[in-house]
Amino acid sequence: MSSAIGIERICMEFGEPGQGVRALDDVSLDIRANEFFTLLGPSGCGKTTLLRLIAGFEQPSAGTIRLYGEAMQDLPPFRRPVNTVFQSYALFPHMSVAQNIAFGLEMRGLPRAEIDATVQRMLALVKLPDVGRRRADQLSGGQQQRIALARALANQPKVLLLDESLSALDQKLRKDMQMELKRLQHETGITFIFVTHDQEEALTMSDRIAVMDKGRVLQVGTPSEIYESPVNRTVAAFIGETNFLAADAADAGLRLGDGQVLQAPTPLRGAVTLAIRPERVHLDPAGELEGVVEDVVYVGTDTVYHLNVAGQGGFRVRRQNHDGAVAAHAPGERLRLRVPTAAIRVLAE
Amino acid sequence: MNAAGLRHERRLLLRRLALSAPAMATLAVFLLVPLGIMLLVSFLQPGDYGGVKWGEYSLEAYVNFLYERDLDDSLVFNTDYLQIFQRSFWLSVLTTAGCLLVGFPTALYLALQSERRRNLLLLLVTVPFWTNLLVRVYAWILLLRNGGLVDSGLEALGLVHGGDLNVLYTDVAVVIGLLYTFLPFMVLPIYTSLEKLDWRLVEAAYDLGATRRQALRRIIVPLAMPGIAAGTILVFIPSLGNYIIPELLGGGKALMIGNLIQLQFGTAHNWPLGAALSFALLAFVLLAMLVYSLRFKGAAAGGHP
Repeated sequence: MSSAIGIERICMEFGEPGQGVRALDDVSLDIRANEFFTLLGPSGCGKTTLLRLIAGFEQPSAGTIRLYGEAMQDLPPFRRPVNTVFQSYALFPHMSVAQNIAFGLEMRGLPRAEIDATVQRMLALVKLPDVGRRRADQLSGGQQQRIALARALANQPKVLLLDESLSALDQKLRKDMQMELKRLQHETGITFIFVTHDQEEALTMSDRIAVMDKGRVLQVGTPSEIYESPVNRTVAAFIGETNFLAADAADAGLRLGDGQVLQAPTPLRGAVTLAIRPERVHLDPAGELEGVVEDVVYVGTDTVYHLNVAGQGGFRVRRQNHDGAVAAHAPGERLRLRVPTAAIRVLAE
Repeated sequence: MNAAGLRHERRLLLRRLALSAPAMATLAVFLLVPLGIMLLVSFLQPGDYGGVKWGEYSLEAYVNFLYERDLDDSLVFNTDYLQIFQRSFWLSVLTTAGCLLVGFPTALYLALQSERRRNLLLLLVTVPFWTNLLVRVYAWILLLRNGGLVDSGLEALGLVHGGDLNVLYTDVAVVIGLLYTFLPFMVLPIYTSLEKLDWRLVEAAYDLGATRRQALRRIIVPLAMPGIAAGTILVFIPSLGNYIIPELLGGGKALMIGNLIQLQFGTAHNWPLGAALSFALLAFVLLAMLVYSLRFKGAAAGGHP
């Protein structure tokens, strides 16, 4: 697959050079054509800044941004074949829905008939064929979101940027729009770069994810790579639920604080952190790990056991309620846990 | 609705009336009563040495506005007063256009500054109000007169050679004076609407391929329209009826409606004609506003060509 956007050693500083705030610190990324790529991170991690650099609203302090191989960091926004769906939608309040969608096409000086046809096609694409004559502020939040999408897609950009585009919607609408976005991406074949702080959203929608924190890219990978093999504690903690256990890595295995030993291959030696996902641990009388039940929480689909393992509290084990609610173990009870070797991720920190 | 609900409604209505009563009373005393007196005066006979003859009703003032009484007492259509109305109209249009041309970029510049700078610059816009208008207009006389600062300045720069500038006591001087006086009334309302503007919309326009000029024309100006409309009205109407600027900078030669009205109450000793002219001005302003609001409404709803 060819590269759609190449980010090469981008730095972004606000304020005085040398002593300003570093929003982006030597960021490099390669985003492939026709990919649904997500920039994921907590607020202030630099993901929105990176998006604004690609759109052209900001100039990088250093580095190169390539679009299909060609450097474009010096082009103004209106010359970039890139369109943005803004977090606030930014629909023009003094224009009708159809005029909003037509705006980009008019700027390119297309003939009226072609513009009108494209507007109709875009309205059909976002499944709102009858709202063209209405004013933007007469639409619901979900509808405005779709119109913002239609307006950006009408220009047939090579890359579509979406800035926290679903965060203003309620839960139900959000789920629908996630599927809708995936559908649109498949139908249009446009590269989508999506910015979000919602890890679940990122896992659901993306082909690949870049996890960012404090202006740096921590890890790039498919959702399963990011989830199953986080490179460090920050990524593991940010994506999904994770139990962390302090351990000492030696040839004999991973020794926990109270002397229990777990087995997992690792080149590391000395103090390490074990990251273990709650759903990968099984309650099993023949298990190698022991813990004391602190609390049992029933959450509908699952029952979550909070255990004290090796002197550390809050170790969670998630068990699906295949057989409905089962009131089994009580606080204070000792349980044995089976932790498959593949479920243990050994981290250096 | 039940009885208790109705009582509640009525209480709310009474409270609203009570709250608006002072404003209503002020309007009645200081607007409606004087207007009523003026209306009455316009239908009376002029007194011999100013004032009016109470109780002697006549349409003479309104007839005099459009006709002249010939020697044989027959009425001849006379456009003298209408010409002054027309001149006043065009001078005010020029003033308004000039204020818009200077005021819009100023307001845009103000709105784009940081908050601290903005407040300082806004203060500077209002600084002229701290000095008496008369003083400022006399300053313009000193600037514009032959041999004044502008004249000698231009000569020193070699832009004019010999001769006098001859700007003072012309329509040009009047328009300069009006423009100077009313510029803040154009800047402030436009600034207010630009300050509220969501600049992400401008970013969205750039993103969709609009150049700076296109974003200005298609996004910024339409969204600043309420401010532009308010500024236009705030400049145009006071310019139309202005008295002091044409009096001082027009030197009594370049008459505007305000001067004409003053003349009737002063040296001409014809109060009814002055009152009638005032009402003609009022009617003219209302008509202009009506036309303007219709045009403006059409432009706002039209959106794009």
